[in-house]
Amino acid sequence: MPEAAGGRGKLAYKFLLWFLLISLAPMGVVGWHLIDISQSVLKEESLRHQQSLAVGFAETVSNYISTFKTVLTIASRLEGFATMDPVKQERHLNRVMQQHPAFLEVSVFDASGRETVHMGRFLSAVPQMRNFADEDPFRAALDRGEYAGGLARFQGLYPTLTLAVPILESGAGQAVKRGVLLAKISLNGLSQMLRQEFPEKGRSQAAVVAGDVRDSFLVAHSNPNEAFKADAKLPEEILKVILTQTAKRGGGEVELKDSTRVLGAFAEVKDTGWIVYVQQPTESAYLAATQMKGQVLRVLLWVVVITLLLSLAVAGHITQPIRALQQAAERLTAGRFEDLPEMTLTNDEIGDLAQSFIQMSDSLKEKTGELLHAKEELTKYGRDLERRVESRTRELKAAQDELIKKERLAAIGQMASVVGHEIRNPLAVINNSIFFIKTKMTKEGTLDPKVERHISIIQSEVKQANSIIDEILTYSRSRELKPEATKLNFWVEELLSVYPFPAHIAVEKNLDPRDPVVYIDQDEMKQAVRNLIGNGIEVMPTQGSVRIATALLEKGWVRLDVGDRGPGIPPDVLEKIFTPFYTTKARGTGLGLAVVKKVIDRHGGRVDVQTAVGQGTLFSLYLPLHDPNRKEPPAAGVRQSAQPPITAPAQPAARTEPPQTARALPATRPQGT
Amino acid sequence: MAQETPVKLLVIDDDAHLRESLAEVLELDGFECLQAGTATDGIATAKKNNPRVVIMDIQLPDSSGFQICQELRKHSREAILIMMTGRFLSAEEKTQGFELGADEYLTKPFDLQELSVRIRQLLSRSRS
Repeated sequence: MPEAAGGRGKLAYKFLLWFLLISLAPMGVVGWHLIDISQSVLKEESLRHQQSLAVGFAETVSNYISTFKTVLTIASRLEGFATMDPVKQERHLNRVMQQHPAFLEVSVFDASGRETVHMGRFLSAVPQMRNFADEDPFRAALDRGEYAGGLARFQGLYPTLTLAVPILESGAGQAVKRGVLLAKISLNGLSQMLRQEFPEKGRSQAAVVAGDVRDSFLVAHSNPNEAFKADAKLPEEILKVILTQTAKRGGGEVELKDSTRVLGAFAEVKDTGWIVYVQQPTESAYLAATQMKGQVLRVLLWVVVITLLLSLAVAGHITQPIRALQQAAERLTAGRFEDLPEMTLTNDEIGDLAQSFIQMSDSLKEKTGELLHAKEELTKYGRDLERRVESRTRELKAAQDELIKKERLAAIGQMASVVGHEIRNPLAVINNSIFFIKTKMTKEGTLDPKVERHISIIQSEVKQANSIIDEILTYSRSRELKPEATKLNFWVEELLSVYPFPAHIAVEKNLDPRDPVVYIDQDEMKQAVRNLIGNGIEVMPTQGSVRIATALLEKGWVRLDVGDRGPGIPPDVLEKIFTPFYTTKARGTGLGLAVVKKVIDRHGGRVDVQTAVGQGTLFSLYLPLHDPNRKEPPAAGVRQSAQPPITAPAQPAARTEPPQTARALPATRPQGT
Repeated sequence: MAQETPVKLLVIDDDAHLRESLAEVLELDGFECLQAGTATDGIATAKKNNPRVVIMDIQLPDSSGFQICQELRKHSREAILIMMTGRFLSAEEKTQGFELGADEYLTKPFDLQELSVRIRQLLSRSRS
């Protein structure tokens, strides 16, 4: 049976194997039995045929003998025999011998047994007359009416048979036996007939045998030469079989000495007891059976081949959809949903399977799609989440930084407050003591100019130390804002009038005639503006002017400018100027501008800086215009514009390049302050 | 003014140096200065000597300036009570002080000349 190479069996072949096993095995068995049966039938038939041949020839032999007997009987009744006229007898017998070559000798005996006529083909001209009075043939012919026997080989060659009939004179009443007519006939004719009927081929032969096993006589043979031999005999084993049989006919297979098998049949010849034996080799005897067997085998082979092809076709047909399914499953495994092979839906279980498979693949495809989609979503969410976490982390970090900064500032402020407070006492003592010394020495008139100079240095330093403490305390304390509606121009004028401007500083005022009203905590705002003026004065040690301007802007905003004509702020410094404790001065807390920003933030405003190196710096404080209808400070209310409009203030004529701008926007607008 | 009976003045402060320097400066200016380091001592000294002017620190080890102020105002309606502080005072605190009878606030360090002038102003006002 075909087996698929490479281990795994193919379904089609398995189908085929089982199909063939199931269908061919019983057929084979039945076929074998049929052959067997027909073989035996055919063999029997062959045997029967063989027997019939033997029987038929036995009759022929019998007829052969009886023909000559009849000839003799007829001759004995011819004229001259009853009268025992030898001349007439010889004349008749001559004719008989001429007509029947088988007659070798013919004799006439008178009733006493003396030979009266003796004729023969090979006799001398005057043959010897014999007396047969005591001979079997003579006696039997006289007593029983006929005789057949005395098988002998004529001159040692031909098998001959002696026949005798009585010569009767049929008178009135009982016939009178006048003598005996005796003839020796050649049996060559039998051999000739055998040869004609059973031409010798291979080991087939036919023979007529007389006698018994020990003393057999080959009467005739299909090969006449056999019969002419002096010791002519059939093979021993055949003789044993045919001469020991009691049945008148029979047959069967005989194994010869050379261990070949032959089919033999025999039949007894009536009256004589001879036996006709007909033999033919089994091959030719069973030719029909063999041919039939071959035929059947050929048919069987065809059946097998056709069945095989049919089975292949059927199995292929059955497994084709399964193969398609398998292929589809393989592609499915590889994830090639779009590339499934065409599947024909047959109206059977396999069709159902294919249907289920298609549904399964569809479902799988759908599920896989969902899965992929979900995965994508998940990835997207993951990325989104990451981004959000990142941004939150950044925010948190910023908030934390801010908090740390605030806490740090708060801590610094607190510490500064405590330290400042504690330092104030010693400062006061120093101040008192130095005042005491100065006063006392002045009164006593012992004040040396140098001592006085140093005393004033000490006093100045104490004052400075005190102002530093003031600054720190101002920045760090969180007192409640006390805003009030303030006419800005008036307030500015007042501030400028008390501000101790050095002599080398000029003041440029440019106040808006509309005199805007703002809602401010005057103390804090004063501190802020003073800080700005102070800074301006500081950067102009020899000559310069401080610019002060107010302006009413559109959309409810007011601007207060404080500027100088100093060297300006370098860009790297500009971005840090509002940072607490950042300073470029030899002496400074770094809180001046931080305070400005804090104050303006608390007022809901904004600080804008424009600076140009070598030309000066301008701080613009944007403040909400006071709305008299509103009780609350404008920082908490809804303003017309949340963002102050930025309009560049009037620039000095000398300024040609665009000013650098830094804007300090309030991080959050203070509410309710 | 110096020829008249010197004006009695009491300085109450736990900081001895400050107390002393202040007192000496004021003495140079013609005041008679008494000193006290604690509230208890200050109140006792004030009750005993009846100073016209009391300058007191708000923060004292045994009490606060406000309580001294209250106590002394009960004792004398005429005395000028000046509070000293080393830190900023809120408006509420200041109001509280004034309600308790304080006449003036000083933030350390202060200009001594100004102080002297202010004291004389207050004195002349209370006399008139």
